Amino acid sequence: MIVCVAVVGHQNNPLYIQSFTEADDALKLHHIVHCSLDVIDERVNNPKKSGTTLNEAFLGLLYPTLNYKVYGYLTNTKVKFIMVTTDLDVRDTDVRSFFRKFHAAYVDAVSNPFHVPGKKITSRTFAESVTNIVRSYTFN
Amino acid sequence: MVREVAESCVDTMLMEMVAMYSGRFYANKPELAARRIEAIGYQVGHQLSERYTMERPRFSDHLEAIKFICKDFWSEVFKKQIDNLKTNHRGTFVLQDNKFRWLSRVSIDPSPEKETEDPLSTPGESKAAQAVSMYLYFPCGIIRGVLSNLGIPCAVSADISSLPTCSFVIRVKA
Repeated sequence: MIVCVAVVGHQNNPLYIQSFTEADDALKLHHIVHCSLDVIDERVNNPKKSGTTLNEAFLGLLYPTLNYKVYGYLTNTKVKFIMVTTDLDVRDTDVRSFFRKFHAAYVDAVSNPFHVPGKKITSRTFAESVTNIVRSYTFN
Repeated sequence: MVREVAESCVDTMLMEMVAMYSGRFYANKPELAARRIEAIGYQVGHQLSERYTMERPRFSDHLEAIKFICKDFWSEVFKKQIDNLKTNHRGTFVLQDNKFRWLSRVSIDPSPEKETEDPLSTPGESKAAQAVSMYLYFPCGIIRGVLSNLGIPCAVSADISSLPTCSFVIRVKA
């Protein structure tokens, strides 16, 4: 189950963050997302150390914790997408397609002429479509 | 599903936008009108770049981003590629389009007042060139919007040598 998704702007400013758990652990999830930003920076600045293909948007597994796995995705426009899941058996292709849909939803949201670039995404349509995408992915 | 817009609508909108800004809102301040039109283009470019760079790997240097504009972006927006790309490898790029779509239906009145025999002062022609240049602030803004969203701050200007050939000069800020 995906427990948290986040969109972070190119100056590491949060654009959208949403957790999908019943329990009251939003703060913990935000903390995990926050930590992953450093991992993304490291991946992007030292591409040789990590095994991922050069310059691909999908960054793969950023780091596993005891209960969660954190995946990242970095667009050409330096916008970061982060996803936290509790599933342990996850196939990369599924995560890739999840991020592709997530990215498409984001693009639709920022193409709204009333959206101010660099500001938080407040669109209800975006929140709905993200919720639908998250619900449609249970990796196990 | 891809939603499409008739080309004539885009042409009309561009014409009307220039007419509104340079003829009504800022009738006596062409620089201000130009800046406003450029700002609209910037926002459009900003949003388009987000969409058109979706399925591709990240660009590793400036030249790759410029090539993206010349090939993929230009064919998405204008259904053709840039005809000629020149660079001095120090941050200046010149993109030449031999038949720029938004100028393909623009013509300069071929019979300006011929009584002034002096070839140096051709007020009719320079006025016409200035009028045409108003139409180029919007595409300049689009290019600047795309590049700055890709993390390349720059200044873009346009030159018209002979219609409908048009070249865009991109100066990347260090």
